[in-house]
Amino acid sequence: MSRGLVALTGREVLRVLKLWTQTVVAPVVSAFLFIVVFGLSLGGRISEIGGVEYEVFIVPGLITMAMVQAAYANNSASVFQAKFDRYLNDILAAPMRAWEVNVGLSLGGIVRALLIGAALLICSLLVVDVPIREPLVLVVAVALALLLFSSLGVIVGIYAEAWDHTAFVNNLAILPLTFLGGVFYSVDVLPSPWEELSHVNPIFFLVQAVRYGFLGTSDVSVVFALLVTGGLAAVCVAWSTWLFATGRKIKP
Amino acid sequence: MWTPGARSLKRVLSPALELRGLTKRYDDGFLALDAFDLVVPAGEFFGLLGPNGAGKTTLISAVCNLVRVTAGDVDVFGHPHGTSEARRLIGLAEQDVNLDRFLDVEETLLYHGGYYGMSRADARRRAKEMMDVFDLRAKAKVRAPKLSGGMRRRLLLARALMHEPRLVILDEPTAGVDFELRLELWRYIRRLHEEGTTILLTTHYLEEAEELCEDIALIRGGRLLARDTAAGLREAFAADTLADVYVKAMATA
Repeated sequence: MSRGLVALTGREVLRVLKLWTQTVVAPVVSAFLFIVVFGLSLGGRISEIGGVEYEVFIVPGLITMAMVQAAYANNSASVFQAKFDRYLNDILAAPMRAWEVNVGLSLGGIVRALLIGAALLICSLLVVDVPIREPLVLVVAVALALLLFSSLGVIVGIYAEAWDHTAFVNNLAILPLTFLGGVFYSVDVLPSPWEELSHVNPIFFLVQAVRYGFLGTSDVSVVFALLVTGGLAAVCVAWSTWLFATGRKIKP
Repeated sequence: MWTPGARSLKRVLSPALELRGLTKRYDDGFLALDAFDLVVPAGEFFGLLGPNGAGKTTLISAVCNLVRVTAGDVDVFGHPHGTSEARRLIGLAEQDVNLDRFLDVEETLLYHGGYYGMSRADARRRAKEMMDVFDLRAKAKVRAPKLSGGMRRRLLLARALMHEPRLVILDEPTAGVDFELRLELWRYIRRLHEEGTTILLTTHYLEEAEELCEDIALIRGGRLLARDTAAGLREAFAADTLADVYVKAMATA
């Protein structure tokens, strides 16, 4: 790894750590509240889903939701701020290759998401007994999900012309799709056509892949879920790489 | 066997900056630079003068890979400007104070050094040196947004010089600074030039250009109007001062 890439990654991680209450603590607290409120208070009133207790069933989806939102929000905000304040120029003028700039800017969101995921898992284990039945699948699913959403964050940060634009994608696309992606329920219980429609929601597949990693069960084939998530991640990575390689939307 | 030597020799003898047919047309159709040719010899203190919108900042941005060039070539000490070698040789202090709001003074310098490939130890040594030179040591742990305007300007210059570039590009470095700091910055820039660094300076202060620059180019509408020493320009335009030269040159453009 080049020194430039190490420095840029270090800068992105430092930003996350300097803003730790906002970047790590706040999302962990809000996701943990979901686990406590929905899982523990409602869990007793909801029967098991696919042989799994409800408070355990929702944990993988909630961890996924918190992680992908953090990866997206971090990178879209960091890139937009760097562009808006023009200190991105200090990075663009430096002797770093386009892919190094792309990777360096993406890793901040990935590190932030991993910190949140680890903290949430530890907190969850204090109140519910969540197993990790397929650790390899879990690692691959989380890696693909973070690749997808960290790259998406970089792309939106580059295209955004106002703060509203980064929030717009999160509030009107990622958050609704996450809630409709089977975080709180199994899509098997949905009537037609909602069950079928869930299968065009990309977040549904990554929730399924992560859930399989934790619980060993999912509503769709885990291979298919990983392929969909991996395909979308490949598209976003290629898109952000293209933006940095050509300078489009970054350099006038 | 002779080829690498010849190539190295060419680079040693190469001008600090060479622009050939540099053209930049923005997406909205505005032509900022029109087949611009310019050679800045190594070691020169070069001034670029022109009104707002003349193409000065676009030229600098093109050299530093901050705009997409429409046509033409840019070489820095014989290296194409997009290469790592060329980028490492350039230090840029932009017109806008574009400091990273999340970093303090010391971190700003250390991370910049890292982006330019400096080792951690070298970056620490150089950052201390830069903080001493620009009187920033007491503010080492202060974040950029909390610095005064003058301090930010010093930090901007310190950052540009952090990786010891051979070509330093200063885009209106004294805009908005008080007289005392302006003189201090002049002293430092002059010393830098005496040590062999090539300086490319843009400024709206004509007395600044006359005081500091060995060679001055006047540009307007993305084209070179005239280029000479201050004395040469005064003679060519039959003017008493550089201000008169500027007015005459712009009137005839």
